[in-house]
Amino acid sequence: MPIIEVCDLQKQYPLPDDKSQKFFAVNGVSLSIEQGEVFGILGPNGAGKTTTLEMIEGLNDIDGGEALIDGISVRTNPYRVKERIGVQLQANEYFDNVSLEELLSLFGALYHRTIDPMALLAKVQLEDKARAKPAALSGGQKQRFSIACALVNEPKVLFLDEPTTGLDPQAKRNLWDLVQGLNEGGMTIVLTTHNMEEAEELCDRIAIMDHGKIIAEGTPEALILEFAPEPPEAPLHGNLEDVFLSLTGHGLRE
Amino acid sequence: MILNPLQRHLTSVFLKIFLRDRRSIFFSLFFPVIFMTVFSLANDREQEPINIGVANLSSNQVASDFVQRLSDSPVFNTVTGESAPLREALIAGDQTMVLELPADFGQSPETRSSEINVVVDAAQVSQLGLIMPVLEQTLLSIEREFRGIAPLFTIAIEDVQARSQRYIDFLLPGLMALTLMNLSIAGSGFNIVEYRRKGILKRLFVTPIEPKDFITAIVFARMTIVLVQLTVLIVLAVVLLDIRIVGNFFAYYFVVILGTVIFLCLGFSLGSLAKTQETIGALGNIVIMPQIFLSGIFYPIESMPEWIQPLAQLLPLSFVSTGMREIANAGAALTDILPSLLGIAVWLAISFLAATRLFLWREVAS
Repeated sequence: MPIIEVCDLQKQYPLPDDKSQKFFAVNGVSLSIEQGEVFGILGPNGAGKTTTLEMIEGLNDIDGGEALIDGISVRTNPYRVKERIGVQLQANEYFDNVSLEELLSLFGALYHRTIDPMALLAKVQLEDKARAKPAALSGGQKQRFSIACALVNEPKVLFLDEPTTGLDPQAKRNLWDLVQGLNEGGMTIVLTTHNMEEAEELCDRIAIMDHGKIIAEGTPEALILEFAPEPPEAPLHGNLEDVFLSLTGHGLRE
Repeated sequence: MILNPLQRHLTSVFLKIFLRDRRSIFFSLFFPVIFMTVFSLANDREQEPINIGVANLSSNQVASDFVQRLSDSPVFNTVTGESAPLREALIAGDQTMVLELPADFGQSPETRSSEINVVVDAAQVSQLGLIMPVLEQTLLSIEREFRGIAPLFTIAIEDVQARSQRYIDFLLPGLMALTLMNLSIAGSGFNIVEYRRKGILKRLFVTPIEPKDFITAIVFARMTIVLVQLTVLIVLAVVLLDIRIVGNFFAYYFVVILGTVIFLCLGFSLGSLAKTQETIGALGNIVIMPQIFLSGIFYPIESMPEWIQPLAQLLPLSFVSTGMREIANAGAALTDILPSLLGIAVWLAISFLAATRLFLWREVAS
């Protein structure tokens, strides 16, 4: 049985120009994610990725459809779902003047757990920053700390929203290693990204979204075979960026 | 223990955040302390003795008795000398007043009374009202002695109220009410907007924390901060400025706690309405500013224009500061300040309803 089952998920918002009209930010998304998979959601800005994630995480109301995590309905049991998932949001600021160690203890308390902050910091290679304040961290360190915060409740599913945006190549690779390590320990990981190399490197399966719908889904290899333009002569390989552009077009998005 | 472990943990984190924010602590104590010190210094100056010069042209016993009595009086700082240099000192501002006793001062009292020439500078004339009664009293007692008559009656003053009339005693409870309002609205309103801007509320909302845990922790942390800061202010006032608080401390802190809850609830409401730092700043000013001037903090509501008094009396800070003042200055018991308590109860109900209606986790967080 899949650990995440999403069926015909819908979200409506009023149109920015005409409040009396509505549009579907998410329009009938269905997903089935197996235990232990790394699943990527790709799509241009405004495609509905973050809204979809937020509905699955219990952050946003579900207007239509159903989302089950570990067999529990997000709609009817949001608090039981929140106990089983870890979430890293795009914004990663924390309280001022509170050290990493103290913040992790606090996050543990939010799940009614007493945790060992040093063990978690070791997991994300931040032991030497235990007494530092989040404001003093570099971009990569901040992202790793966000992941540590998302791990305090030993979640079955970890959600990462654009985890490597704005990181330098070293920090990016370091974070990939971290994600792969967590996945090897059996954790299911769902991430969104604009980085095609990242999707190809990390993800077992990928869904590509546009205009609130999933327009393609499969393993990176299968998607490349199906959608990347055929090379005129033999040796040329497409990559995921070709797939992405050929599916969603070259037009600039917001 | 009333708090569950999560609420306790979160409360201690909020307290740590405040304790490590030295600037906030400084400013929340700085202004009340400055106000208190300035007004109490202004108060002390009035009790300084008044400089008077006496030019005694007479050589008889009555005149020197009179000069001796003036010198003994705590109200005056008396200098004797020649008339001309004393007049110069008066013009220079070193003397407030110069008395010239004529050569025939106190002679033949049976036939005519002596005249004392009082030289003053017009700029100092406001103090004449204070000086003249003392002068007359001194003259009167000399005269009685001279004629060998006992005073017909004496006045015994018995202070039944132990109420101090000094302005600083009036000011202190109001300043404390003002401090508790500022600390409370900052703690709920301004902090919530800040936490939302940083995405902290959204991050918390992803965990199984419930709104009541979050709100309880903020209320308890702020309550602790308010009680400690106000206690520091009271200790400073009593030790440094010799302020007398005659009322019951339990009654006093009871009103403080109720007031804190009112303004925390108002803060939660404002923080839920305002989406940006600018809006909360403006909304906060709309709520805070009129109350600073209209709630009888710096001068009594009764001294304001007639038409604004009914409105001013209905402000939440008016009920809180009036209640605190009646307890601190007049030693009122809680049963004596029922009108204030009733007003506080109504505001508690209004602010609590507004806060629970407006603070919706899902909407406030995102």
